[in-house]
Amino acid sequence: MNKGLPQDYLPLLIQFSLALGFVVMTIFASTYLGPRLRSKRKEDPFECGIESQGDARLPMSVKYFLIAILFVLFDVEIIFMYPWAVNFKKLGWFGFTEMLMFVGFLMAGFYYIIKKGVLNWDED
Amino acid sequence: MHFLEIIKNLSLVQWAFYFLSILTLYGALGTILSKNPIHSVIYLVVTFFSISGIYIMLNAQFLAAVNVIVYAGAIMVLFLFVLMFLNLKEESTEMKTSPMLIAAVSTGLLLGLILIATIRKAEITRVNYNDFDPNTGLIETLGMVLYKNYMLPFELVSVLFLVAMSGAILLGKREKGESHF
Amino acid sequence: MYPIIVFSVSGLLMLFLGLSVNKKSLLPYNLLFMLVGLASNFLDWNAPGLYFNGMLEISNPIILVQWVLIFAAILVSGISSRQFDDTHAYPAEYYAIMQFALVGALIMVSFQNLLMLFVGLEILSVGLYVLTGSDKRNLRGNEAAIKYFLMGSFATGIFLFGVAMFYGATGSFDISSGNSVANNLLEGKMFFWLGMVFIFIGLLFKISAAPFHFWTADVYQGAPTVFSAFMATIVKTAVIFALFRLAAYSFNLEYENWSKFLVIIIGLSMVIGNVTAVFQTNFKRVLAFSSISQAGFMLLSLIGLGAQSYGNLGFYSLSYALATISAFGVFLVISSNTIVEGRPSENINVFDGLFSRNPDLAIILLISMLSLAGIPLTSGFWSKFFVLNDAAAKGYFWILILGVLMSAVSLYYYFNPIRASFKKTDLGKIEISSLSKYTLYVCAALTILFGIAPNILRSLF
Repeated sequence: MNKGLPQDYLPLLIQFSLALGFVVMTIFASTYLGPRLRSKRKEDPFECGIESQGDARLPMSVKYFLIAILFVLFDVEIIFMYPWAVNFKKLGWFGFTEMLMFVGFLMAGFYYIIKKGVLNWDED
Repeated sequence: MHFLEIIKNLSLVQWAFYFLSILTLYGALGTILSKNPIHSVIYLVVTFFSISGIYIMLNAQFLAAVNVIVYAGAIMVLFLFVLMFLNLKEESTEMKTSPMLIAAVSTGLLLGLILIATIRKAEITRVNYNDFDPNTGLIETLGMVLYKNYMLPFELVSVLFLVAMSGAILLGKREKGESHF
Repeated sequence: MYPIIVFSVSGLLMLFLGLSVNKKSLLPYNLLFMLVGLASNFLDWNAPGLYFNGMLEISNPIILVQWVLIFAAILVSGISSRQFDDTHAYPAEYYAIMQFALVGALIMVSFQNLLMLFVGLEILSVGLYVLTGSDKRNLRGNEAAIKYFLMGSFATGIFLFGVAMFYGATGSFDISSGNSVANNLLEGKMFFWLGMVFIFIGLLFKISAAPFHFWTADVYQGAPTVFSAFMATIVKTAVIFALFRLAAYSFNLEYENWSKFLVIIIGLSMVIGNVTAVFQTNFKRVLAFSSISQAGFMLLSLIGLGAQSYGNLGFYSLSYALATISAFGVFLVISSNTIVEGRPSENINVFDGLFSRNPDLAIILLISMLSLAGIPLTSGFWSKFFVLNDAAAKGYFWILILGVLMSAVSLYYYFNPIRASFKKTDLGKIEISSLSKYTLYVCAALTILFGIAPNILRSLF
């Protein structure tokens, strides 16, 4: 029983750093290796067409935020399912009813969200 | 060169720990010190990732994964959303050298001092490596504890979610005839 | 245990009722659910023990406190009648969140495991952050909600840090494991002490004891009045009993250490609460500062930790809840009849001439103010007497003198609305819905009853 020690994650770490290193390397390499002209025109987001004005940061509708919050809630709910699924057989019917209650409660909440019309995009 | 000797003799795990700790602190300081709030959020992501690394070193792999998925992923997006609500074109000039800032910093330093002084004196019972079960932090073990012993708090978390859900809808839902912003 | 289940389900039902039933009939449903919850608590009677793998403790005194909580919630719902009738109110959500918050409060008085305390605290606080900002059109309410949320979540963070330290020191979340470090040397107790202090700070913030009270006045003022009443009574009762459980079961062997620290907080709460209240002109702010000083008095029963303290604290909570709810209730009726600049006036002069406008309300206000000030023949007198007596038994005489002195100061601001209500005025009569009228009658009658015969209630604990 010696699995799950931090050392066992070394391959993961190596892979992670390889992936990161590749991305960083490509970005730097493409910047410094290729020929490059620098001018104000060149560094504009759009080189041709209508000149861009103002800031990209515009205030936006609170609806997006509401949906993002609801997403986070259900995201956390799903995470609770992972340790349950791993132990599904060991926990048996007890665990199943437990999870059924949990999910049932949240699904009732989800039904409420739908009924309330939160997910309807252009309703007045 | 006592200090250099110590550095030379650090084990791999210690290297990893110090690296992650410094990264965590760097991210945390960057979060509160950077002028641009978007940069703050990115620094916070750095902190979350390095905390996840510390979780892995503590053998809490599931927590590390959850930390990345929920905090570095979802919650940070929410933070960015909030920043987008605000009009951040002009930098706020508040809190430069106000007495509030001085009070806050000195209180924080005092608290840090007390914590360090106390923890330095504290006697910490160390884990015995020989009879320590390395599977403690694995998902199987965690699941068994969560769904057997901590059944009631787990079910009540759904009530907490419902409160958050209905609260978000109550506060965030646009009323009839309100403008889009 | 059963009311926790009842309120979890009924809160959900309330949300769905809001979709199908019209607004005015939601209050009866809410009262019905609360009565069901109150009744379901009888099922736990005389079945003491630990439930759910040592997560909850049920015993008769705990059930009595749960009754106090549910009863206070019923009274708060009672005074809310006709308050949520306008188009921008969402009573279904309000009542649902109130019921969920009640779940949190019930957990907090019966937890056996610190994780349960945390879940309860979160359910209660998240619900209240939302209720504080539920009047979306009131800028002050929005500000209050943000303030409460930021400070409250910070306090929860400190509390959680303390719980982590507690776990690190004892290796368990069970509250009885606090005794396991009793025999350790000084160095071995460091983490435990740090955890203890952080847990105390986190919870003291929630009952707005003195150095952690800065949010109170703004939040009470900004929140809709019904929810200020909810905050003042149910949150305070739940958190003080959580503190009491911790003090009695986890930290009882460290009494010498924390009592010194707590007694300073009590003194500060009494002085800051009472002296600042004198200068307020907004009635909700007066009640906010009065609640700070009352929190100081409630904490006295932790100092006087003895066989009677639990009952004394229960008595204090109920009599404080009765008095505060009737004060908020009377104020709610009058201020919604006095519109200044489009909003209900909250200035203390709304009480001007109350006696000629509606004598019943004036008398209820009189009783509640007397009870809050601690005048004999009201339950407030006995509640203060019991807790001060407890503290004096442990030898803290200076806090006893300070308490009496500060009660004298409090007379000044509690008498302001009474004085105003006997002024002459030419304003018309005030109409009041029958439900809130009977709620206020019940509050006043019980205040007098417990003032004359306190042992009716106290012998139950």
